[in-house]
Amino acid sequence: MDLSRRKLLIAGTLGGASLGCRDSREAASVEPLFVGQSPERGHLLRSAALLDHPIDERRKHGVVIVGGGAAGLSAAWRLHKAGMHDFVILELEPALGGTARSGALPRSAHPMGAHYLPTPPPECSELRSLLADLGLIVGYEHDGTPEYRTTAICAAPEERHFFHGTWHPGLYPADGETADEADQWARFWDRLRALDRARDGSGELLFRLPVRRSAGRLRGLDRMSMAAWLDEQGLTSWRLRWYVDYACRDDYGCTLDQTSAFAGLHHFLARGLEDTRDGALLTWPGGNGELLGALHDHLGAHLDMGERVLADHLVYAIDPERGRVRVRDLSAGRSVEIEAEAVLWAAPRFVLRHVLPRGRDPLAPEALSYAPWLVANLELTRSPGGVGASLAWDNVPVIEDPAARNLGYVLATHQEGRDQAIEAGAVITYYQPLAAADPQGLAEARALLLASDARELSEQVLRALEHMHPAIRRQLRALHLHRWGHAMIRPIPGLLFGGALDTARAPIGRVRACATDVGGLPLFEEAFYGALEAADWALARVGRG
Amino acid sequence: MTDAPEPEPPAARAPPVPLLLFSVLVVATCGLVYELITATMASYLLGDSVTQFSLVIGVYLSAMGLGSWLSRFVERRLANRFVHVQLLIAIVGGFSAPALFLGFAVLDTIRPLLFAILIMIGTMVGLEIPLLMRLMPGKQELKDLVARVLAFDYIGALLASIAFPLALLPWLGLVRTSLLFGTFNGLVALWSARAFRHQLVRPRLVTAQALIVVAITGSCLVVGGQIETFGERQLYESPVIFSQKTRYQRLTITRWSDDIRLYIDGNLQFSSADEHRYHESLVHPAFAAREQLASAPARRVLVLGGGDGLAIRELLRYPAIAQIDLVDLDPEMTRLFRETPALTELNGGSLADARVKVHNADAMRWLEDQREAARDEPWDIIVIDLPDPNNLSLGKLYSRAFYRLVRAVLAPDGVAVIQSTSPYLSPQAFWCVVETVDAADLHALPYHAHVPSFGDWGFTLAARSPIARPEGLAFELPEPEALRFLTPELVPTLFAFPLDQRRREVEINRLDTQMLVHYYDQDLHSFGPLTRRAGS
Repeated sequence: MDLSRRKLLIAGTLGGASLGCRDSREAASVEPLFVGQSPERGHLLRSAALLDHPIDERRKHGVVIVGGGAAGLSAAWRLHKAGMHDFVILELEPALGGTARSGALPRSAHPMGAHYLPTPPPECSELRSLLADLGLIVGYEHDGTPEYRTTAICAAPEERHFFHGTWHPGLYPADGETADEADQWARFWDRLRALDRARDGSGELLFRLPVRRSAGRLRGLDRMSMAAWLDEQGLTSWRLRWYVDYACRDDYGCTLDQTSAFAGLHHFLARGLEDTRDGALLTWPGGNGELLGALHDHLGAHLDMGERVLADHLVYAIDPERGRVRVRDLSAGRSVEIEAEAVLWAAPRFVLRHVLPRGRDPLAPEALSYAPWLVANLELTRSPGGVGASLAWDNVPVIEDPAARNLGYVLATHQEGRDQAIEAGAVITYYQPLAAADPQGLAEARALLLASDARELSEQVLRALEHMHPAIRRQLRALHLHRWGHAMIRPIPGLLFGGALDTARAPIGRVRACATDVGGLPLFEEAFYGALEAADWALARVGRG
Repeated sequence: MTDAPEPEPPAARAPPVPLLLFSVLVVATCGLVYELITATMASYLLGDSVTQFSLVIGVYLSAMGLGSWLSRFVERRLANRFVHVQLLIAIVGGFSAPALFLGFAVLDTIRPLLFAILIMIGTMVGLEIPLLMRLMPGKQELKDLVARVLAFDYIGALLASIAFPLALLPWLGLVRTSLLFGTFNGLVALWSARAFRHQLVRPRLVTAQALIVVAITGSCLVVGGQIETFGERQLYESPVIFSQKTRYQRLTITRWSDDIRLYIDGNLQFSSADEHRYHESLVHPAFAAREQLASAPARRVLVLGGGDGLAIRELLRYPAIAQIDLVDLDPEMTRLFRETPALTELNGGSLADARVKVHNADAMRWLEDQREAARDEPWDIIVIDLPDPNNLSLGKLYSRAFYRLVRAVLAPDGVAVIQSTSPYLSPQAFWCVVETVDAADLHALPYHAHVPSFGDWGFTLAARSPIARPEGLAFELPEPEALRFLTPELVPTLFAFPLDQRRREVEINRLDTQMLVHYYDQDLHSFGPLTRRAGS
């Protein structure tokens, strides 16, 4: 009875509050839920009460890894490879994964954030070695090209875009293109081809992964925005600019004006241009969480991961000189102090300031800027259709107003075999980075994201999807919302080579930061290589390097 | 009925009798046409035509009886009732064939829908003749009335029963026939609405209703061609002996004398008259080619697709084979071909052989899981007999990534063979398969054979080392004379391609581009309906 009354109340409020919501009756039958990372947990750090708890236990470990996402698990992989097994991973959330965490709805697993990895270029040999360990590289052709697990390769059709009420294949809105626009599109790719796999005098690639290993010659591009670079090239076509803006939002959570030109070009060039390399995307129904799950299981085959992964553990104070980490076990309500030779901070860098002694963090408070994201997973009674190009893995609306843009949705059920694809329905993952013109706006967008209730946010998601699929509310079976206050580091002009990242990465006593953000680009590869470097540093400290 | 008592309009200005009798003729013809449509559909879709026809006739006649009996309860507004009955017949009868086709595609069993339609039409037709007799101008004597009306009624039945098999079915097909007669019923209703306008209550509304029905059935008749191709694909040339909708597809088996045919979702998979040509060509050249690479006979064989067990029948001729793994998506398919007598007769009970292990799974996922194990125990022969790549989920099973997977589980001295669509009907698709096999670091050797029920059909041999055209059958085949199609002299000729089927420039089929599905689609459109062996 309570439940039905509550439902009634919600429906009543909704009727009054939501204007222009045609199908509020149907929508009310699906209760949107917040799932995944809880912003409240991170905010526990603000409470002084943590420091008042007595320490219940003191332990020692060679290495403490703070954060169980892509960086933390990659660091553990490196330590394991070097034979260093005296480590623990402290994870704030109840589950591993960080921004690559997976979730599940009845119909299918789904990503909550990061959801694919492009196959690495040859120079990323360490990453290839990881993929081989995880059984994702299953062999090599005679010329050394890796062969990937077929079920992980993203199958065609990869992309379609919604433009003028119709779906079109690919991501470039070519419908109605003028001759000048076509010429600009060709020139853009000519420009990229000229830079493709280009090296400086000493043989270093101009664009490569991780971004800090790129040759210095074009670093000046980091001082201008991608929009300014396009202006400089005389590339004014709105279609081209929409396409590049989409790429920047998708990879970096930034608009064209906010993205460093080096970062913008790096998106296209870091792995070699798509049409010249024999590359593919690796993806899974549960997104990169499945990749990390495989990594966890791989380590688990050799080590007791049960005793090395401590979930629900909040690190609240670090003494960098003595390597002492104070951590609160949120589920058991105990406080533990762990002393370590090296502390790998594989969690967002901006949090580190709050656990170090006052004044100990050399990094300026606002040196790194993060994009908030709203992600939602929807279980539908039927696969989304639409007029024109057929349903693809990535489905993107072309929206003229930059303030109203979202990235559309990705089909979590895309990789299913013929045996599963027969099931009715689908799970789609909606992605929307919250972009604002200035830091003030960004802070407001983040505050609004965290303050809104599930119903308000689900309305926002459904309205965006209704633009592409008017009947979507009637097909909705479940809606899960994932709020990411600090989903991505924003590579704004000056970030990559302006010095802040060097400061952010530099060891502070026994502590070294190595999460994706200190790489400067929100990519799995940055997390991986940042973690490798930090793990090597830790190995040197414990005398195993 | 809660109608306020209304004065019956005077019967004075009744329509002329000959026209009324003509409408009896039309109405009777329509009624019998619907009965025949339903009976035909029942025997097509459910098989056993004697039972179906007899059931349909019986149910229809008794429904008519029910309708006639019900007519005594109609007391007022006779003309209105008559027009409405006509309109109801126009809609239910007119859309009976499209509804049954659609129902066959989506429902588990078609019988309830079929008999519901039949009973509705029968009842309404039974109702209309008594109503019409009562609407006839009152001066006639009962004996004249009955004689004339019933005579025209039965003449109509004769017309229908002659026109249906000779003209309607062959020229118009079921869907358009039913829509055409629905339109006739609608026109009779429209005409009656005019003719009885003085007896009708709210004649304009009734006329408008009739106009709408005629417009709907008429316009559907015009676009009926599209429904036709959708529906008639479900039709078979011979009586259906078995039809089942499984989780994955609709399996239909027809039989005409000794010719047994399997259809998946309406697409022919084999005809027992010439399937030996297909399956011998699929299986034996691979063994002959393998002799160039291997000294020991093949022991382990993998079959992907081919749940009918016919390829396995050919495989079991080789005594050295110790194990055959059959991977087919649909457990119903393999069960059917293991248990149904008429079918086990065809495949020689191959699926019940102790050497055969059946795995019901998606071929790509299953193979990916075998990769590790196959390193120690690869397969000597792999037979890939999958439906044509007419959609993206099947296209994956013809991709370079898939062939690399095949390469990984194929013994270094092993040979794989791939059914590769028709080099004549879908040349781009055929050569795309060949190119893709080459690009997967395998050596492709294409060949083809004539299978009358499919046309010229293509296959591709694939091996990890180069192989030359085999010059005969394998020595390990104990009784080559037991074959019905291949001879040692014929085998090398299969590898020659005529000029109009020569290799063409095509892109390979990558998992992330799926060019093959595109080529297959293009070929299909350039050649008209190409439905052979296409599955879902």
